[in-house]
Amino acid sequence: MADKLLKENPLRAVQVEALVVMKIIKHCSQTFPTTATGSIVGLDVNGTLEITNSFPFPVVDIPTLDSHHESTAASNFAAAAPRAKANTVYQNEMIKMLREVNVDANNVGWYTSANMGNFVNPHFIENQFHYQKDINERTVAIVHDVSRSSQGGLSLRAFRLSPQFMAAYKEGKFTTESLQKSNMRYQDILIELPLTIHNSHLLTSFLHQLPEKPRTGELEFPSNLAALSQGPNVPQAPLYPNFDSLDLAIDPFLEKNCDLLLDSIENHQTENNNYQYYQRQLAREQAKITAWQQKRKAENAARAAAKQPALPEDEWTRLFKLPQEPSRLDVLLNSRQVEQYARQVDGFTASVSAKMFAVKGNLLPGDVQ
Amino acid sequence: MADTDSFLHLARPLGPAVVGAQPTTAPLNVVIQPSAIFSILDHSLRRNADQERVIGTLLGTRSEDGTEVEIRNCFAVGHTETQDQVEVDMEYQKQMLALHLRANPREVLIGWYATSSELNTFSALIQNFYGSQGDGTWPHPAVHLTISTDPGQDIEARTYISAPVGVTAERAADSAAFIPVPNEIRYGDAEKSGLELISGAKDREDRTTGVLTDIESLERAIEEVLAMLERVSNYVNSVLDEESPPSSALGQFLMNALALAPKVDASDVERDFNNHIQDVLVISYLANTIRTQIDLSNRLATAALTTGPADGLGGNAEGGQRGGRDQRKGRGQQNRERE
Repeated sequence: MADKLLKENPLRAVQVEALVVMKIIKHCSQTFPTTATGSIVGLDVNGTLEITNSFPFPVVDIPTLDSHHESTAASNFAAAAPRAKANTVYQNEMIKMLREVNVDANNVGWYTSANMGNFVNPHFIENQFHYQKDINERTVAIVHDVSRSSQGGLSLRAFRLSPQFMAAYKEGKFTTESLQKSNMRYQDILIELPLTIHNSHLLTSFLHQLPEKPRTGELEFPSNLAALSQGPNVPQAPLYPNFDSLDLAIDPFLEKNCDLLLDSIENHQTENNNYQYYQRQLAREQAKITAWQQKRKAENAARAAAKQPALPEDEWTRLFKLPQEPSRLDVLLNSRQVEQYARQVDGFTASVSAKMFAVKGNLLPGDVQ
Repeated sequence: MADTDSFLHLARPLGPAVVGAQPTTAPLNVVIQPSAIFSILDHSLRRNADQERVIGTLLGTRSEDGTEVEIRNCFAVGHTETQDQVEVDMEYQKQMLALHLRANPREVLIGWYATSSELNTFSALIQNFYGSQGDGTWPHPAVHLTISTDPGQDIEARTYISAPVGVTAERAADSAAFIPVPNEIRYGDAEKSGLELISGAKDREDRTTGVLTDIESLERAIEEVLAMLERVSNYVNSVLDEESPPSSALGQFLMNALALAPKVDASDVERDFNNHIQDVLVISYLANTIRTQIDLSNRLATAALTTGPADGLGGNAEGGQRGGRDQRKGRGQQNRERE
């Protein structure tokens, strides 16, 4: 019955409370550049997952031998945290406590921080698989990109693993053959759900006072220049819209993105080489087997001529071992990651070129078309 | 928010004086992060129907000399309040504190909050508990934050610390002199983009908003700037028409702003612009090419075997070619970057 309900009504959208957005931002930016992970709780209302609260996973001090590996070790640990046993206990305990103060005590997934969209990795897949398989099918992973958010617009996205990929990952088979059969492409690994942000009434009322209440009545003119930059009437910059997106410093961002893209291409190259190696190996073994079979055939023919019983012809399965085909999973993930970077560059250059034309138009007024 | 009340602090009230410990008398300043307030407001919405106010524990950091306290985090604590008795779930507070400290080892207990600006005997009782030795914040004073959530009125945040007061020793436990301390709401750069998005929904009926793409947020910012320019030029025009009173300070300010426009040669601008836009476009083009190539490579990897039997040779040659292409691309990209 429950299964039927699930199938008929898949998750369509994710709605995040402002509180959760702030908590995730706080946690992720505090631990940046180390990966931060945490758990989210909420309710599923007719296919829309309402996320109403969140809490971070505990950090563990890892004894490290040298400081150089410290951050990567901590990062790896944090990335693996959502599926660690100790954290499942922590999570259950926390949810039990939250239930007492009327918070929706229903685990609906986890969140992680990312740096320039580099979240498509085996850790991510494994965590989400763990959640979707063991805990609840209707769970999501929220990804908050810290470095992209500092560029102006907040980057917060919700992902799930596709049922196709879940089935394939359960079997653990990612050979060319199985991929052909399931017809799965790298675009099908993750499903992105549309994400909206929701405020409570109380919060809306509070936001109207941030950063400060608008003044009523006429303001007096400032008496001198200094009074404009100080004094009680100086307004704080409004929260919305954010003028950070008008920033013209674009090169570091593009450079970083290109670096990451190059890394991914290199990974792709390595995977390709592995595959080629496998294919060469396979060809060599197959050639050997054919040679052996021919030899055996000739031998048998000779024995038949000598009226001796024929030797078995399928002995080669014991003598030769075919190499294992490398898993295509890494290639798939890497491709998805490259796609992610490429789209990121695409979106970014769109706004950059607009800004650049604006600057040019401003500095060369005669040229404006 | 509560900065409308002004008060002067000469000395911080002393906590319970103890032999050997010298309490500081420096003034205290409280900084509140928005996420803590969001959390308190959320808790206020989730209170039981018969509860007037809810309370919770504040966590955060304290500067070394104890003069600045930053409230970063908080959690709700269940409590029941009747006419003549108050009950706080101490066990819950202790366990929750331990859980929070595991995730945020750098945060310490700061004090407590209540969602009503009323201060009464129970407030004093709870305040004395939070400021006590052992589980409390002692030797630092416990901070009490009140957020008023009355419908129809502004949400006001006030912060207090307390001094012991009481005629007799028995009465001292449930009385305290609450002394207001200044507070401010401060948010960092990282939170700005989040707050921007959240406050984008504040004028909407359904109180929801989607996540914006880069180009959309740029559009909004530009629209806002244009609106502001419009307002300024309207003002300037009306001054010129002698309709509005002029202000020399404003005039100076506008002149200074206009003088910020850089004086550069037109040909320099043209050259720099062309160089840069070409770089940007090439990167965009390369990124798209790479995406296509990766797609192609994946399609070939699975399509190669549908046409013929699994022979190593066909896949081999194709793989090699692919690799070669990728390498070329990679080099092209690097060259571009070096430029």
